[in-house]
Amino acid sequence: MSHLSPVLQRLRVTFGKAGPLKYTSNLDTAKIWERVLRRADLPILYTRGFNTRPRISLAMPLPLGISSECEILEISLRERIKLCEQDLRERMLAVSPQGLTIGGIVEVDARAPSLHSLITSAEYRIRFLDEIDRDTLRQRIDDLLKRETIIVDRVRRRKRSVMDIRPLILDLYHDAGDDLLAHLSVGDRGNLRPDQLIEHLGLAGLHYDVHRYRLHFLPE
Amino acid sequence: MQPQSIERKLERHLLQVEKPGRYVGGEYNSVVKDWDRADVKVALAFPDIYDLGMSNLGIMNLYHQVNQRPDMLAERVFSPWLDMEALMRQEGIPLYSLETKHPVSDFDLLGISLPYEQLYTNALNLLDLAGMPVLSRDRDARYPLVIAGGHACFNPEPMADFIDAFVIGEGEEIIVEIASAIAKCRGLPRHQQLRQIARIQGMYVPRFYDVEYHDDGTVRSILPNEPGIPEHVLKRIVITLPKPFTKFIVPNIDTVHNRAPIEIMRGCTRGCRFCHAGMVTRPVRERPVQEIMAAIDEIVRHTGFEEISLLSLSSSDYVWVEQLAEEVNRVYKDAGLSLSLPSLRIESASADLLEKIGGTRRSGFTFAPEAATEKMRDMINKYVPDEQVIQTAKDVYSRGWRTIKFYFMIGHPDETLEDVQAIIDLCNLTLREGTKILGKKATLNVGVSTFIPKPHTPFQWVPQDSRASVEKKQRLLKTQMRRGGMHLRWNNIEDSEFEGWLSRGDRRLGRVIRRAWESGCKFDAWGDQHQHRKWLAAFEEFDIDPKFYNFRERGLEEVFPWDHIDAGVHKKFLREDYLMSIKRETRVDCRDKCFACGILPKFAKERSTTEDMAWECPPVTPISERQRARQVAIPISSIG
Repeated sequence: MSHLSPVLQRLRVTFGKAGPLKYTSNLDTAKIWERVLRRADLPILYTRGFNTRPRISLAMPLPLGISSECEILEISLRERIKLCEQDLRERMLAVSPQGLTIGGIVEVDARAPSLHSLITSAEYRIRFLDEIDRDTLRQRIDDLLKRETIIVDRVRRRKRSVMDIRPLILDLYHDAGDDLLAHLSVGDRGNLRPDQLIEHLGLAGLHYDVHRYRLHFLPE
Repeated sequence: MQPQSIERKLERHLLQVEKPGRYVGGEYNSVVKDWDRADVKVALAFPDIYDLGMSNLGIMNLYHQVNQRPDMLAERVFSPWLDMEALMRQEGIPLYSLETKHPVSDFDLLGISLPYEQLYTNALNLLDLAGMPVLSRDRDARYPLVIAGGHACFNPEPMADFIDAFVIGEGEEIIVEIASAIAKCRGLPRHQQLRQIARIQGMYVPRFYDVEYHDDGTVRSILPNEPGIPEHVLKRIVITLPKPFTKFIVPNIDTVHNRAPIEIMRGCTRGCRFCHAGMVTRPVRERPVQEIMAAIDEIVRHTGFEEISLLSLSSSDYVWVEQLAEEVNRVYKDAGLSLSLPSLRIESASADLLEKIGGTRRSGFTFAPEAATEKMRDMINKYVPDEQVIQTAKDVYSRGWRTIKFYFMIGHPDETLEDVQAIIDLCNLTLREGTKILGKKATLNVGVSTFIPKPHTPFQWVPQDSRASVEKKQRLLKTQMRRGGMHLRWNNIEDSEFEGWLSRGDRRLGRVIRRAWESGCKFDAWGDQHQHRKWLAAFEEFDIDPKFYNFRERGLEEVFPWDHIDAGVHKKFLREDYLMSIKRETRVDCRDKCFACGILPKFAKERSTTEDMAWECPPVTPISERQRARQVAIPISSIG
């Protein structure tokens, strides 16, 4: 297995995307990170072979247009570095584009499973840019949550199927500021995007901002 | 409109368009200055989408030059794609800068990059999206001064109605001079401001020149209509290349060339007769290896780019190319960095160079034989014998690289179907050699472009090949180049016709460009967007025959619409070279022998400040001194 180089250290970085960066796709976010790490002069591990790529991965795709404070990046290093969280965070931030924020940095076992498979759901804050009638909002939420099933047609990998998205809505309420707070399933076991939720609430015509603020995991 | 209002509108609507990351800025290394503290504000526009414009080295260089100045700021502007343009027009969002989201109309200066003619309609569209009248004469001093520069501006006439002033030549120094001049004449009427601008060496202000025509439509004269305006505008050059710019903006989205370029050399001494760049970028100026190595190091640290491209018109001619390859190999062999060295000569040494530099992963091997018969090679003054092409290909394939790309050119009016057949034969032979070495894995990509005579080249007198002839030549290529492993690309005939009109066009084309744009033409560089019929209709409306520009052999004494623009090369020299081409006479690389193109006398003062060989021009002794030297020589030899 020549393509497997030894991973000497694995880091898990919690980061956020704000401002202009929310318009950067998931693939391009990985590219941004690759370059941040290179500018920060960290010994990233590269895949071997004709087209070498850095061994970094984003745990859960963030749909275009959504800001976040809870994204997770995993980095494999080819050399061990002394992990001083504060120093490392500053070193990365100093070479980051506008809108990239860094939460925690922790070391994880090099053999631990990828985090992607462990993420089950995410919480979003949806802020309406136009004034919205509070009673209408409450009514729409109640109506949606009262339904036992919400059957939708889905086309995935060119296959049409029907599915019930009701179980994917884990929680939904609005706060005092009329922001909508939604806890939705993400990942391979079932995924509901905030814009799809808004559509089912019958609010698709409105302008709104979405922010992802928490990811939920299965215990490792 | 205030930047905050623009931002608010973007926030609401940006997710409706494709790739919204094009329109928000915020990239690493982008320079956001305090708007209110900058005295002069410059908007630098590339009139195509972000994805393309961000790869433009010229714009980046100017951005850097202006932003270096504490009293100035430069911000970027690109063309919105069709979906974004529709949104901007619908929501009343004016064209804005990426850095601070200020409307372009709030800037003092709008500089538009015009490296090629297909961007002209987009330039008009930018002015319109900025809420400005497209015609220069309709804009007073309330509007930003609109300047343009880039290779296409060596014939500025087709765009003379729209642009207030053109930069002829190299922009690195002049951009700051223009910005300073604007600050000094703020508040004056536009006409007076332009008088100040016209005093800067290298600036061309079209409204200060009158053009008269003969009855047959050719130009009779182009003369200044104000005192103090030069009869000829000599291009601007920098004496030595400024230090390479290394703080490239790192895009947040994928772009066409997502990498950093370093210019290793400017200018070319080969003298290929079709090559516009080779004629207008003289003299040659090379960068020392150490400067390039330092720049690579800085780029990696400043940008994190994984790919760096070492640019020039002819890398093999860069004097220290081997030393550079050695150094790159020594320092960056295992650094996960990909370097590319395009524009190499067809010779075995090129394979060695690329192997050392190691950047072939992405760029592959690209060679440009251009022609395949002795006759055509002599005519265009680019001589590479078949054996050398095939030997080089063999060397490349036998080192395990599977893909080679060849560039050829068809469409010289004296080219016959036999000359085109020779291209096919040479490609077949090359691929056959490749197959012997690599079997079916060997591939040969062949790009065959159509020749367009360009101003300021020895071929400026030559007619463009007729539609029927190009069709016949392309048909031959298409039917005969179908072997497995061979991939042919060619130019659309209408695109070539269109480029031809604007390349050698005159001031009268302004109306045509404007009407084409009004009827919806834009993104003409995007094959599928170019609307040829609308262009033809615009020509017809003004009773201008497009064939006049493309298919006419120009008389040796004809005054060209661009004759008052001095690219540093004598028209006499070009004419001589044109006549040599008809006689199939060639000229060697002018590093070996000076053909008196004109660069040295025209830039004598600049040259006197450089080291002897700084421009790679061989020593030329004036005739008077040559005679004196001979007289002196006699007694010395008699002593011997």
